[in-house]
Amino acid sequence: MSQFRQLIESSPDAIVIVDSDGRIRYANFQAAFLFGYGREKLRGKPLRTLLPDQPLPLSPRDRHGQEKQVRRRLELVGSRSDSSQFPADVTVISIQTEHGPTAVVTIRDITETQRAQFVFERSLAVLESDDRDRQALLGHLVRAQEEERRRIAAGIHDDTIQVISAASLRVQQLRRRLRDRAEVEILDKLEETLRLSLSRLRQLIFDLRPPSLEEGSLAAALRGYLEQMRSETGIAYQFEDSLAAKAPANTTVLIYRIAQEALMNVRKHARAKTVRVELLGLGDGCLVRIADNGVGYNPGEVEAHPGHLGLVLIRERAQLAGGWCRIESAPGTGTTVEFWVPLGGPLTQPETDP
Amino acid sequence: MIEIFGPNTRQVLTFLGQLPELSPEDIDQVTRAWRRTHSRDRAEAWVQMHRGTIEHERYRTMVAASIARQVALSAATTLHRSDWAFWAAASDAAAAIAAGHRMGSHYDILISPLAAVMPSLARSPANAQGGGNIPHSLPEQGSALSEPA
Repeated sequence: MSQFRQLIESSPDAIVIVDSDGRIRYANFQAAFLFGYGREKLRGKPLRTLLPDQPLPLSPRDRHGQEKQVRRRLELVGSRSDSSQFPADVTVISIQTEHGPTAVVTIRDITETQRAQFVFERSLAVLESDDRDRQALLGHLVRAQEEERRRIAAGIHDDTIQVISAASLRVQQLRRRLRDRAEVEILDKLEETLRLSLSRLRQLIFDLRPPSLEEGSLAAALRGYLEQMRSETGIAYQFEDSLAAKAPANTTVLIYRIAQEALMNVRKHARAKTVRVELLGLGDGCLVRIADNGVGYNPGEVEAHPGHLGLVLIRERAQLAGGWCRIESAPGTGTTVEFWVPLGGPLTQPETDP
Repeated sequence: MIEIFGPNTRQVLTFLGQLPELSPEDIDQVTRAWRRTHSRDRAEAWVQMHRGTIEHERYRTMVAASIARQVALSAATTLHRSDWAFWAAASDAAAAIAAGHRMGSHYDILISPLAAVMPSLARSPANAQGGGNIPHSLPEQGSALSEPA
């Protein structure tokens, strides 16, 4: 018996034993300390002195009128001897003893826990709000970037290329007047330079905004990019297009940019021989899989350090479109990027399971 | 209880706590099970998670999935396991647990690889309503996601 008493006395929680009249028969040291009473003063006091506003069913009975052994856990308000109050985590265990029905009430001051919880909840709310702001900013930047690309491409097409084409025509006119062989050779080089400039500018327009993308053909734009990658790097490709639905222009561009970012990573880092690209229609959205057979990477190392903007941009762009993205890799196993975006634009309301 | 992962935070926390307790054999079993699941079924389940949740819920679910992936990656590294199918499976399962009944009949698809070693996960919201769905399994051929060309 003295061992049990020692056990109760050493508890970090306040423990009081209450009789069927709701009066305290025993209080441990922590109970006296927590509520600011002498232990003798606590004995015989009603439990409601400590837990004033919430009458507790200390000895509930079952449907046959017998006392039940039950355990209840509640958050109540504790009242100290100086009338100050504190939030309390209270556990009541009803038991049957030789003295009749009895309740063991364990009380813990949770002021610090509640403060920490409040701070944590606020921090969480701030983080979420910051994340929404960041997504909104990213959305704005992505739209601005796309608009800028379109503007530059249009400027190159409508102005710079026209000017260089006009210069080429004048060079041709000049050629007809030249008789000196050395001067004609200089003109040949000038013409070649102009042709090269035109070719590079047309390539730049393609890089900025593939014409097929303007026409809304995602598959054609991706195939064009893969073909260009193959000719420049030797990376072979397999392309499978099972996307029946046509995406709105903005979504088409977004999907293309995400895929382009993933393929850029293949080109720069993967040392792959082959890349496989699949477009699938899934649940009125578009699922894209890009898998290479390159060297892969260790996600534990790569993701632990900031600066891998390519991976971040892929994820962020997919989420921006209301979709999801999975990027997985391991050393020696290649890398797989899988993302899905809804074709109807970002989701706002939940839908029921079809 | 702060609902950091939404209304099913307690279940997600329990799951996160159990992940590091898995043995190397458990991890191998989960990896094999994940690769047997059809990648299209999995993608459909994720689509359903997106379709069935509002933005706020989706955010919490994605956080749960992301943390589970990190915990699984760390556990696998400790046990010298490097197949990413394991942390992908953990990410799937955490998303399903966090989204709960919003997953509808797709819950089991995302849970099944880990439920093989954590039987408590098999008690899905869908099963409780008699709407459980056994995932379509493929022979040991892996998925398109696991087999780059």
